[in-house]
Amino acid sequence: MNVLFLEAPYRGEIELCQATLDYLKKKKYKTVALYASVQFCPTLEKVKEQLQKLNIKYITSQPDRTHVSSQLLGCDNYHSSLNLAEKELQQIGCYLYVGDGKFHPLALVYAQKDSSAIKEIVSDDPLGKKMIIMDQNDIKIILRRYRGSLLKFLQAHKVGVISTIKPGQEQLRPSFSLERKFPDKKFYYFLDDTISFSQLENFNFIDVWINTACPRIGFDDQEKFQRGVLNLNDAFHAEEILSQDSILNKA
Amino acid sequence: MRLYDIEIEKALAKIKESQAKVVCIQLPDGMKPYAEEIEASITRETSARVLIWLGSNFGACDIPLGLDRLGVDLFIAWGHNQFHKKGEGW
Repeated sequence: MNVLFLEAPYRGEIELCQATLDYLKKKKYKTVALYASVQFCPTLEKVKEQLQKLNIKYITSQPDRTHVSSQLLGCDNYHSSLNLAEKELQQIGCYLYVGDGKFHPLALVYAQKDSSAIKEIVSDDPLGKKMIIMDQNDIKIILRRYRGSLLKFLQAHKVGVISTIKPGQEQLRPSFSLERKFPDKKFYYFLDDTISFSQLENFNFIDVWINTACPRIGFDDQEKFQRGVLNLNDAFHAEEILSQDSILNKA
Repeated sequence: MRLYDIEIEKALAKIKESQAKVVCIQLPDGMKPYAEEIEASITRETSARVLIWLGSNFGACDIPLGLDRLGVDLFIAWGHNQFHKKGEGW
């Protein structure tokens, strides 16, 4: 079967709204990391010009799962996914996201959960011509629950590992390595297409769940997992994550 | 006026070039109302039968399985571009 992706790009020209320009000026940012949803990536020229006029340098990257530079996906919610060099990360004052909705820019907040301090996300909605600021306060409750899931996992005996059969997300084989890393735990492997949250409680012998599908499920859907859920990559490093001076541990 | 370009000409060109007989179209939630217009364009301009994916479209990672069995020879997903999956874990 052939597959064709059509990006459905935005039809008009976009520019940062006045509120965003005023805010960036007020905060005296010198360098920002610029990202956008795919619909706006081809039309960022005017935004770049506006930043130049404010003497603000922009840097950007092509995050792990994306197809073009500056594109941000909701699943690039781990710092390493952004592919920014350590030096660049230190250089930036804030992240500047261009697009509508909160789902994509929230990835930039999650990406900093293991950092000791957060760089805020200035999110400019070119359709609504408004700006919102996002930081750890947007995910405080989720991070508290997530920390609880990490602790629960370390003490758990019976762990449910959820894999999706969607080829783009499926990570079944890497999840088998959990058995080597945690030989004292018993892992049960569950398959689904789109995760059936209502089915989780039927498997009442599970102490805690590990998500291997979309990495946003481990955060955004915390409350749907009565027994707690954490993402696969965090399960491997649970102890280390819990011992760091980080946004997560301060939430 | 529509805010986003549905790029119907690209869809039609691909259908004609691949001589697809059965096309499944998938749209993100915000674009699902365009299904009527897209279906009309495809059936008017080509001889392909159009099937509309009802379910989720969380991203390019979310391509339905088993469509081959139904004879779908072209799948068109709007609102996303190619997804680069990381091989082993995240």
